[in-house]
Amino acid sequence: MYTRQAGVLLGTLFSCLAATAGAASSSSSSSHAQPQTTLTLRIPSTPQLPSAHALPAWTHATLTALGAAHDAPLTAAGAFVFRNVTPGSYLADVHCGAYAFAPLRVDVVLSETSGKEEKVVVRAWETYRGNDWENKGQEVPRSGSGEDGGFAVRVLGYKEYFVERGGFSVFGILKNPMILMGLVSMVLFIGLPKLIENMDPEMRAEWEEQQKKSPMASLMGGGQQPGASPMGNFDMAAYMAGQGSNKKDEGEPTSSNNGGGKKNGKR
Amino acid sequence: MHFPTQTLSIAVLLALPAAVRAVFKDEVGHIDYHHQLLGVPQRETTFFHRPRPEDRASLLYTLSDLGVLGAVNPGNGAIVWRQLLDGNITEGGHLRAAEDETWLATALGSSVHAWDSLTGRNAWTLDFDGAVKDLEIMEMTANGGKDVLALHEEDGTTVARRIHGGDGRVVWEFREVNNDVPLQVSTSAGKVFVVTLHGSLLSYSLKVVVLDTVTGKKLDEIILGTKGEVQKPEDVMFVGANSAAPVVAWTDNTLTKLKVNVLGSKGRQEFPLVADAVEVEIHAPHTSQSSPHFLVHTRTATASKADVYHVDLKSNAISKAYDLPLLEGGSAFSTSSSASNVYFTRVTADEVIITSSVSHGVLGRWPLKSKTETEKPTAVHGVSEVVKKAEDNYAVRSAIVTDADDWTQIVNGDVAWTRPEGLSGAVAATWAEIPESEDLARTLEAEAHTDPWSAFVHRVTRHVDELQYLPAYLQAVPSRLVASILGSETSTVSDTLSRDSFGFNKLVVLATKRGKLYGLDAGNHGRIVWSKKANETPGAKPWDVAAIHADDAKGFVTVRGANGEFIIVKSDTGKTVESMPTGLFPPVESAVVVDSDAGPWLLPIGKGGKIAEINGSYAPKETIVTRTEEGGIRGVKFVSEGNQAVEIPTWEFNPPPGQKIVEVASRAKHDPIASIGRVLGDRTVKYKYLNPNTLVVAAVDEQAEVLSVYLLDTVSGQILTSSTYEGVDAAKDIACAVAENWFLCSFFGAYKLRDSQAQTLKGYQVVVSDLYESDLPNDRGSLGDDTLNFSSLDPVDRPAGGPYLPSVASKTFVLSGPVSCLTVTKTRQGVASRQLLAYMPEAHGIVGIPRLVLEPRRPVGRDPTPAEAEEGLSRYVPAIELDPRLHVTHRRDVLGVREILTCPAALESTSLVLAYGIDVYGSRVAPSLAFDILGKGFNKLALLGTVAALVMGVGVLRPMIRKKQIDARWKQ
Repeated sequence: MYTRQAGVLLGTLFSCLAATAGAASSSSSSSHAQPQTTLTLRIPSTPQLPSAHALPAWTHATLTALGAAHDAPLTAAGAFVFRNVTPGSYLADVHCGAYAFAPLRVDVVLSETSGKEEKVVVRAWETYRGNDWENKGQEVPRSGSGEDGGFAVRVLGYKEYFVERGGFSVFGILKNPMILMGLVSMVLFIGLPKLIENMDPEMRAEWEEQQKKSPMASLMGGGQQPGASPMGNFDMAAYMAGQGSNKKDEGEPTSSNNGGGKKNGKR
Repeated sequence: MHFPTQTLSIAVLLALPAAVRAVFKDEVGHIDYHHQLLGVPQRETTFFHRPRPEDRASLLYTLSDLGVLGAVNPGNGAIVWRQLLDGNITEGGHLRAAEDETWLATALGSSVHAWDSLTGRNAWTLDFDGAVKDLEIMEMTANGGKDVLALHEEDGTTVARRIHGGDGRVVWEFREVNNDVPLQVSTSAGKVFVVTLHGSLLSYSLKVVVLDTVTGKKLDEIILGTKGEVQKPEDVMFVGANSAAPVVAWTDNTLTKLKVNVLGSKGRQEFPLVADAVEVEIHAPHTSQSSPHFLVHTRTATASKADVYHVDLKSNAISKAYDLPLLEGGSAFSTSSSASNVYFTRVTADEVIITSSVSHGVLGRWPLKSKTETEKPTAVHGVSEVVKKAEDNYAVRSAIVTDADDWTQIVNGDVAWTRPEGLSGAVAATWAEIPESEDLARTLEAEAHTDPWSAFVHRVTRHVDELQYLPAYLQAVPSRLVASILGSETSTVSDTLSRDSFGFNKLVVLATKRGKLYGLDAGNHGRIVWSKKANETPGAKPWDVAAIHADDAKGFVTVRGANGEFIIVKSDTGKTVESMPTGLFPPVESAVVVDSDAGPWLLPIGKGGKIAEINGSYAPKETIVTRTEEGGIRGVKFVSEGNQAVEIPTWEFNPPPGQKIVEVASRAKHDPIASIGRVLGDRTVKYKYLNPNTLVVAAVDEQAEVLSVYLLDTVSGQILTSSTYEGVDAAKDIACAVAENWFLCSFFGAYKLRDSQAQTLKGYQVVVSDLYESDLPNDRGSLGDDTLNFSSLDPVDRPAGGPYLPSVASKTFVLSGPVSCLTVTKTRQGVASRQLLAYMPEAHGIVGIPRLVLEPRRPVGRDPTPAEAEEGLSRYVPAIELDPRLHVTHRRDVLGVREILTCPAALESTSLVLAYGIDVYGSRVAPSLAFDILGKGFNKLALLGTVAALVMGVGVLRPMIRKKQIDARWKQ
């Protein structure tokens, strides 16, 4: 379980500020006790997003703090204008269907008594979700001054909603280890007899002698019936081809037996 | 537990959910449907307008009764752009367009906006104090552009402002403390008029304040008529603007006379109205170059007629030019002007007629070809655009709002498109089964209960009867086969309502705030099966629906209103089975489905949790939890006493002083548990605390900004667990959801962590809590071996004493945006993992967060051990990025969702989703991926091709081998 303190620090801080509120309002409405300012967020032109015209019309930005929420729609100039923003530490988010934007921390503070007049100062930093609020990123510079001043929001990238379906690819099938094993054994069964055929007759005889002696031959040949007898092979093939009932086994056994049959038949 | 401070790589966050679930591009429009809506257009705030003066094409603009501003392409009825003005659903508002300008001006609530009419971008926004009463465009300004006039009411003060149209700065402000009711602002060539009601309630007189256009100084004040001439603001029918001679028109309370005054003059003229008039509307052009003509449309209960009046610019005299005949049925009149010509279009149930304002000669007449012959919608109001093609040849297009809440465009008598805007503004909805195979289920049940012989005979006759469907079935086989192979079977919309074996075809019954009921076919792209007015007798508007319940056994849907009214309709046809108008029954706060001896029924609960007396056989078997008048909640049990059931309060829960209950969530009726424990990586089991009688109550203290979440046992009223969160904003959405053995709450919080390092946190958060029977694995705690029968009322004896409490594991996550309408997916058996569905009100979409991400057991500050990784636990990261690939609604802009409903399909993997509010959106989600159905990714053609290739290969190889073997035998 989480344990936390009565963390209404920000709230108390700003209610103190509100008590000393002057006439620093830049809004048309003067009846508010708290000083207010106008805050602008801009979408800069970046390689990812050359123009804010590519954004859907409902794109909007929000400023959120405890007990405060502001919402501003996207303007034709590609900016978000928040009016009547009172001092506070806000989380600024841009909500858009097409592009993702990095969140900002926006602090609106009354500057310490610089002379008689109090000024509302706005600063913005990048912020990281799930991190300490004081863990600010780089400060976002304010472009322009006064009412025209604004903070640029960083475009993270195009929002990709869909995942690609794994399509049919021959290469993908060939990469399968089972298929690779099958291919290797096919090469062995088809290629080896050819290799033997092309051998020098003397060498071949020698090799065949060796084969007969080696225990491997009895193993490999012994898989089928009494090894060297050609008749055995013929029976098998005749059974396969003649009756034709055992379709399931047809593909593999024929190819392997055929190789063996050929080898033996030529002898 | 603390939040790691190192910067998190976004790539890691994005990679986390990617493997879990996303929408495939080819599923768009196949598994989901979306009715993109605006709301029903309002009479004063709908018009055709050219977004660019140099462009001839015009768009159709409206500010609907839901506060949605939208531009619609008149060619096909598609939405070009839309904006929800106030951030929430609000009726009223003002919308004006400036001729030959690129912007539109709107006013809603207290703020005034200007929007680019082509792109829908904001030009400027101004917020003022008080409420907006009217908005007008000022055509003639010194700087050549056009300005906006806004009229506000700030308690007793009438404030008129002229706002620069281009940059939104206030040019001048006129302020007068007079306790008048400001009505409208109007302008003519050289003056600004502010029309107010002067006097006291029920005896007002009209006052016109004349202002200077340049300085806003008051020039004159004219009192029109005698005191008591106007009783209420609604009696003032019309205040024209921007015409050469704007008029103000009002009627007496009984609608017998119409009184008209040309603004700026002192005299008024009276005209008699048709007898039995029930409604009077005035239509006049809104451009200064148009002729100063206007049309008075009078509606009686059954018919409507119109009179056209001309204003003499020199003498300000008003004379009647001609009248259009009284026609049976409703008509909609609209004005269209080009240069100085003014045309009036009349759309009746049968035809469209256009006349010029100068003479009563009919310029064009088209019979109305309706798609459905049976019922002809009645036009309520509309707008039109008349184009003069040749000397005697006119074309007209009218966008008409019908009494069925549809928005239809009629081009020369042909229906071009219809937008079902009535679907918007839904306040309640329910899933309902398509009631057809219920018959079969009932027959089977009947067969099971009769003696074997008659059951056998019954069965044989049933099968013989079914033979008649065989030819049709056989006929359909080839086409179904082909459609199945080509994958086109679900992309076509079928007009018939039938169940499917996957359980995707279900009905949705929606009730809207306008008192309409809709039946949608969820399996057929949300097609509207039926629609009807729910309250034949006019009920309260907007309709406040307390509960909606579908009885699938009977095929009925019951809708209960808050004013005691109810209606029972058939879910497949919408036919009324039974209905009760408002006022006969006491008001209802909510209603709940209860199980009784007489079967399940919808028990109404009155204000303050009062339950009326119930007949003994209808007594609910469960404990009912209601709200109390003191703001708490209580549990009630029913005990039958003779013929009646008597309610006995069993417990009451009142939050601590200062706290207000904001959200109550309980487990869904259908929440099956596939496994009672969780198998951990080391093969031990952690048993889930599965109490069906639990309730999550969120109470908030607005002053202290504290949120308390309580988990209550609904039988005993015992608090099972509670937690308190400080620094929670009560004004923002607080939502809770419960399922299985876990519950969660989302809120906006800003607080200091109680940690060694002082850290503050700010953002939208979700807290997930898991409930287990014991902290230790392989341990059922006090619920162990000998206590097979657990009861909430007789807690298991524990050596330590007190009730048996579950072990709770919680984690907090920070979301990248606010979420509301939390819902958990439901599947048939509960085997598939669950997904949290939530609406993102800012991002206009529905996100599906896998339960695996919202897992309180994720290890903190270290990588998971191999055993934990086997369980699917990943390292805890406090931030959950609501990745676009988690969006169930993907690219769609789903606006104003009020509730998300889920429903299990027949397939275990799939849960059906419906979201309603402004838009209606439906989809299917498979939280554990679609493991029991072949998706679109399964290429049936490739499979068939492979099989065919193998068969061919065998066919080719077989003769070759046979030949070879015969050859070999001969060569032997």
